[in-house]
Amino acid sequence: MLTDELKKGSAEFLLLSLLEAEPRHGYELQKLIESRSQGVLTFHVASLYPLLYRMEDRGWIAGKWVEKAGERRRRFYRLTAAGRAALEAQRDSWREFVTAINRVSGVRYA
Amino acid sequence: MHDPHDWRADVRARLASSGLHPQDEAELADEVGQHLEAQFAELAPKIGPVAAREQLLAELREQGFDEAASRRRRRARPSRARVWSSTSVLRDLRYGFRSLRRSPGTVAAGVAALALGIGLTTMMYSIIYGLLLKGLPFDDPSRIALIYRADPTGRGEEDLVPYGDYVRYRAEQRSFAVYGAYYTAMASISGGDRPERIDVARVTSGALDVTGARAALGRTFTSADNAPDAPPTVLLGYAIWRDRFARDSSVVGKPLRVNGRAYTIIGVMPDGFEFPRSQKMWLPVQLDAAGLAPGQGRPVNIVGRLRPGVELGNANAELAGLSRRLARENGDTAAVRDLAQPFVRALIPARVYSLLYAMLGAVFLVLLVACANVANLLLDRAANRSREIGIRVALGASRVAVIRQSLVESGILAGMAAIAGVALAQSGIVAFNRTMLAIQADTPFWADIRLHLPVLLFVIGVAVAASIVSGLLPALHSARVDVNTILKDESHSASSRRVGRLSRAIVVAEIALSSAMLLAAGFMTKSIVRMRMMDPHFTTNAIFTARITASSSTDTARARQLFEGLERDLASVSGVDGAVLANGLPGVEWQGGRVEVEGHVYARPQERPVTRTLAVSSGFFRTFGVSLLQGRGILSTDRAQTQRVVVINDAFARWQFAGVNPIGRRIRLGETPTDADWATVVGVIPTLYAGNSRNAWPPEVLTSLAQEPRLSSVSIALRGADGVANAATVRRIVSALDPEVPVYSIASMDELMFRAQWPVRVLGTMFVLFGVASLVLAAIGLYAVMAFSVSRRTREMGIRIALGATAGSVVGMICRQGAVQIALGMTVGFAVGALVVQAARAALFEVRPSDPWVFGASALAACLIPAFRATGVDPVIALRSE
Repeated sequence: MLTDELKKGSAEFLLLSLLEAEPRHGYELQKLIESRSQGVLTFHVASLYPLLYRMEDRGWIAGKWVEKAGERRRRFYRLTAAGRAALEAQRDSWREFVTAINRVSGVRYA
Repeated sequence: MHDPHDWRADVRARLASSGLHPQDEAELADEVGQHLEAQFAELAPKIGPVAAREQLLAELREQGFDEAASRRRRRARPSRARVWSSTSVLRDLRYGFRSLRRSPGTVAAGVAALALGIGLTTMMYSIIYGLLLKGLPFDDPSRIALIYRADPTGRGEEDLVPYGDYVRYRAEQRSFAVYGAYYTAMASISGGDRPERIDVARVTSGALDVTGARAALGRTFTSADNAPDAPPTVLLGYAIWRDRFARDSSVVGKPLRVNGRAYTIIGVMPDGFEFPRSQKMWLPVQLDAAGLAPGQGRPVNIVGRLRPGVELGNANAELAGLSRRLARENGDTAAVRDLAQPFVRALIPARVYSLLYAMLGAVFLVLLVACANVANLLLDRAANRSREIGIRVALGASRVAVIRQSLVESGILAGMAAIAGVALAQSGIVAFNRTMLAIQADTPFWADIRLHLPVLLFVIGVAVAASIVSGLLPALHSARVDVNTILKDESHSASSRRVGRLSRAIVVAEIALSSAMLLAAGFMTKSIVRMRMMDPHFTTNAIFTARITASSSTDTARARQLFEGLERDLASVSGVDGAVLANGLPGVEWQGGRVEVEGHVYARPQERPVTRTLAVSSGFFRTFGVSLLQGRGILSTDRAQTQRVVVINDAFARWQFAGVNPIGRRIRLGETPTDADWATVVGVIPTLYAGNSRNAWPPEVLTSLAQEPRLSSVSIALRGADGVANAATVRRIVSALDPEVPVYSIASMDELMFRAQWPVRVLGTMFVLFGVASLVLAAIGLYAVMAFSVSRRTREMGIRIALGATAGSVVGMICRQGAVQIALGMTVGFAVGALVVQAARAALFEVRPSDPWVFGASALAACLIPAFRATGVDPVIALRSE
């Protein structure tokens, strides 16, 4: 099981990754994390939104209200240029981190 | 799955303490609310809706969410200082005036309604303030107390205290710094142009010292003047000094004949001083206290000025102890209770107090109806402006600012209404004072009914209260808007649903208030109608009356000679169709005494019944057109030397001679009658109206004036001829018989009757006016509400009609919904109205406060008028406008 510490460190990275492909809203992000991690990673509104707003304040993502005919308006988040750079940087350091762990622990991918 | 739960409201509640700007809050609530809603839809089928809701709410409560709130703080929340700065209030005022100018109809209707309410309350408060609250026009009037003997039967009949008790109190009491006694009387003054009869007070020196008033000329009394053997002195009132002495500044020391004796003038009191009530002259009390035991002596009023630091409660405690001790020494077993009360409070009868406050309560009801009308008008505006308010909130107006904007508007209305209301009150006060003057009502000297400063402060208070009462509901309604709903709500359906609930509540309140007033007005109307329709069983038309007093109260032979001469001379005046001398007049004066019927046994003298009595000359029956039911009237042959006779009225016959023929039976009158007092019943007359508010048709015994042993004053009544000529003729005749005899209290019988009935006629009419005012206001208000709710529901009605409802059934539905409100409002209103009527008993005439007919008629009016107004709104026409 993932410790809280680990989860916290990885959460921003996961959200940035999910937004790389297309803009998504908060509920979709939660659902994706939950399903793709097969339930290992879960978020509540009380943990997801502070994170999203923090990232928006930092300029990594940008929220926008989108209104479609016949539907209620929803707030979609997209990755900004700064966010894309942050994602690349995190990917690099994550790759380095995983490699290092692998070397030390001898864990190999099947 | 449909989820009726409003998750956005939960988010808003979660954010309540974070103090976000309304728009930030709305965005956050929208985003997170949607999230939770979606999550719930997914979770509920798995673990059940209750568990799902609990789980999500628990997640929302987690502390981490606070960071979300703080990060969403995009806009500065308006600071308190900014909201309440003077520039922003001025801006609100300017904006308020501008926006009100756009709807002059609302303004006119609102101002008119509030002005009526504020005007009537101001007028009633002026009367109460001028008569009851302002107090005596002396220094520190609240410390002047009147001491009277409480009625042991608890009926509130106040009594005087025997002089013997006063003397003991004065020696032993410590509560009052100044202490005095007085009793009121009438006195004849003669010499000069013509004799006059005036109201005077016999006072001890302390009684005037209590007021602290100084003489304008000369001096007031000292205790030396009160000695039984002191040379008689008199203190003039300003009016007598002005009218009789032409403001002669050397009047002090000159003689004045009072009741046939020479008195020395010692001083003149300043203008406006008529202590204790409306006395024009003062004579010293000259009673010998030496031989008086407690419980003995002439009954007097006691006045005192409280010692500094002593309160009425202390004085009353001391008084209770003193009076108990006196009663014990006296061997008096009856529970005597002497009470000290603030002077004005004690002198004005309790029923007048209660009536005036009932009237104030009634006009407050009118004011509340007016407030309800204005609240409705503003609510209507608020509903129409919800979009505007939504935009203002979206642009950053805080809720406080929105509420304040609404209150500023109702405040502007109330302010304008206050100005109009004061003008209205002023004309009402002028009319009231003029009426009181015209009917020569016996108003006390301190009564000064005008717009005093405290009355104006009262107006400001009432206006502020009215603006809050009428502005707060619409204001709160405006402030509760949900920006997103409102801005998207093209059809106004959401806001009008809420407005609808509020205005229905206002309708119920309005019906309650106006039916309370309607009930009160109904009782007063019935009283006035009964009074106008009432047949007093004697003629009041074209009857001239006056009163004369023999120059000496002790020389009975001389008085009798005067009265006999007068009776003879008056009857011979040309044009006079009937003349009578009597010790009182029917319908206006109340005199009574104990009566004993021969053959009845009374255990104690106090058990003999009390009856009204009137001593009349033979002309009574002709002059007043009184018919005889049985036997004969008082004849001119019923003299002092002949057998004593009485004529009884129908009420007396039924009361004491039920089932037997009263003619020939004997009764005797008086406190301590002797065998010589037995008088034979020779006739029966119909029961005459007695003008007494407790019992208008009392048992009565007429005696022969010639057989009354001691009489110094008589009333005279002449029928026919015209009044002014009569006054001169009567004066001439009287003067020829005795130049020192004054002719006074000149009035026509109709005037006297009106004066005696003024509480019912004047105050009752005011009550009816209040009732009509509230009914008109309520009818206007109800029409507006009904029209408003119908127009708000046109879409719903359109759908109903489209689905097959007939126009008639839609109207029926609206009326049925109205009926519930009417029934509810009426029930509450009648309960309130019954209390008002109970308090206003003094203005009722021959109507019991529980009269079912009045309740029925009021209920009918309270139902019909709203129903009529409601059906006046045609939903089909309203539909076409859509």
